Amino acid sequence: MPAPVAAALRTVGAAAFAIVLLVFVLGPLVWLGAHAFADRWTYPNLLPDSWTLRWWQTVFSDQVLGSSIQNSLLITPVVVLVSAVVCLPAAYAFARFEFPGRRLFLIGLFATNAFPRMGLFATLASLYYALGLMNTIAGIVVVQLLGTIVFMTWIPAAAFSAVPRSLEEAARDAGASRARVFFTVTLRLALPGILVGAVMAFLAAFDEAQGTYLVGAPDILTMPTEMYSLVLNFPKQVAAVFSILLAIPSVVLLLAVRKHVMGGQLAEGFQLK
Amino acid sequence: MATVTATPAAATADRGAHHASRSAAAGFLLALPPVVVIALFVGVPVVLALAFSVGFTGGLNSVVAAVGQNVHHADGAVPTFAAYGDVFTDPAFWQDLALTLGVTLASTAIVVVLAGGIGLYLRLHGGWFARLLSGVAIVPLFIPVVIASWAILTFYSADGFLRSLFAQVGLEAPVWSYTAIAIVIGSAWTSLPFAVLMIASGLQSVPDALIEAARDAGAGTARIVRTILLPMSTVPIVIAVTFTAIGVIGSYTVPYFTGPNAPTMLGVSLARYFTAYNQPQQSLVLAFVVFLAAAGIGALYVWANFRSARREGRV
Repeated sequence: MPAPVAAALRTVGAAAFAIVLLVFVLGPLVWLGAHAFADRWTYPNLLPDSWTLRWWQTVFSDQVLGSSIQNSLLITPVVVLVSAVVCLPAAYAFARFEFPGRRLFLIGLFATNAFPRMGLFATLASLYYALGLMNTIAGIVVVQLLGTIVFMTWIPAAAFSAVPRSLEEAARDAGASRARVFFTVTLRLALPGILVGAVMAFLAAFDEAQGTYLVGAPDILTMPTEMYSLVLNFPKQVAAVFSILLAIPSVVLLLAVRKHVMGGQLAEGFQLK
Repeated sequence: MATVTATPAAATADRGAHHASRSAAAGFLLALPPVVVIALFVGVPVVLALAFSVGFTGGLNSVVAAVGQNVHHADGAVPTFAAYGDVFTDPAFWQDLALTLGVTLASTAIVVVLAGGIGLYLRLHGGWFARLLSGVAIVPLFIPVVIASWAILTFYSADGFLRSLFAQVGLEAPVWSYTAIAIVIGSAWTSLPFAVLMIASGLQSVPDALIEAARDAGAGTARIVRTILLPMSTVPIVIAVTFTAIGVIGSYTVPYFTGPNAPTMLGVSLARYFTAYNQPQQSLVLAFVVFLAAAGIGALYVWANFRSARREGRV
């Protein structure tokens, strides 16, 4: 095939691929976003007939929706904090120590994701009734914690192991104590990876709906569990407004760590080493 | 990760051995907390669930056994597989299983093709356009799954964008919402970012020198892709495939929102058995079927990592 024809075909192919990708990924979001501001929208128009902000008013003035937003914003940071306390020392251990069962533990922590969440919550219910955790905030914290453990162990472990030992040894040789070396060298250099892990953990906890619903409903509702009922009981536009609200923390947080996520912290974190 | 630094003097080597055993104990203890949490809140329930599915309804299983319907009890210490029989003789189960496997295969294939395309374009051409595409492909990471499912449902519904666009030119587009196609689209959508990150980083790590040498020798793009890029990034590709497949096979939210009532994915089916039909034992049988399938896929991941570790001389 002559070179210019091949080149033209390549460009057309790339353009077609790009258009398909853009519509595939961004289309549904833009469509939903338009619904949040739509007053009347007749099929088959591609844009609403008239625009309005009253659906935002509906959402903000609703008591139940407001309390679910509050619950989400209160519970999720607690979960991330507990996850950090439980998992970060383990991440350091996985990175810096050799001990029997190290690889087994790493795989085991990841393997628990292979069990379908709904099935897990079904049996977790029995344990919760026995421990008195049903319908409590502590119960919800534990359920959301389960989803964050992989992110708070694997990704920080990769970050810790990427810190060159030579730097730590140089600091020790210069006379610094172990604690000082840890806080000023190791932790400092591993911080981007830890932050990526924390953000992924925050998002996993924030978006957790199924287990939270089984444990908390109907007394304690978070934004995602509220979404399930919203979709069924309110007009499309209300669900669209709530969707935008629910997506805001994700967008803000991920934009903040975007540089590190794209820079490979996420991909590095999931290689077994 | 944990390398042992070489120590020249015998005395320091001695100290090193003692240090190693003490640090092994320290490492083990530090690594315990998340393992304990998982063992208590995932391991114990899974073991209880396994026992309950074969009829052991005492102890911690007594509440759910008392509340549930159609519960089969074990004969003393002899397990009963009646619940498994209930599920496997139901033709709906086999339809759901077929749908689940089909959807998993289709969405994984779509994800690999899209992510592979983006990764290859980024590697071989680079430039702002490739970076834009990869940035767009990461966007689903920002969006909670509940919202993504709802957005995809409205996009492909009877009055959604697809139908509206075709109606503008007088054509009838199909309604994909509430069908298996919407589940495939939704699953591919939510799995795309991770696959793009893995495959793109895998392709980026192939040295320029290899590609240039091949080009100098006269190899075309297709040949470079087939003989250099793909073999050298097998591990990240396998990781992307297994993560996607495991995520899709047991999924609940995407098929619940976007899929049909029947046949549906096993994740939705098992939730239905538990909440709507109040048959917890049968629900758990389904959970174990999904777990077995996911574990099989996960074994592929472990093998791939082991192989790469052995090749790099780390094992």
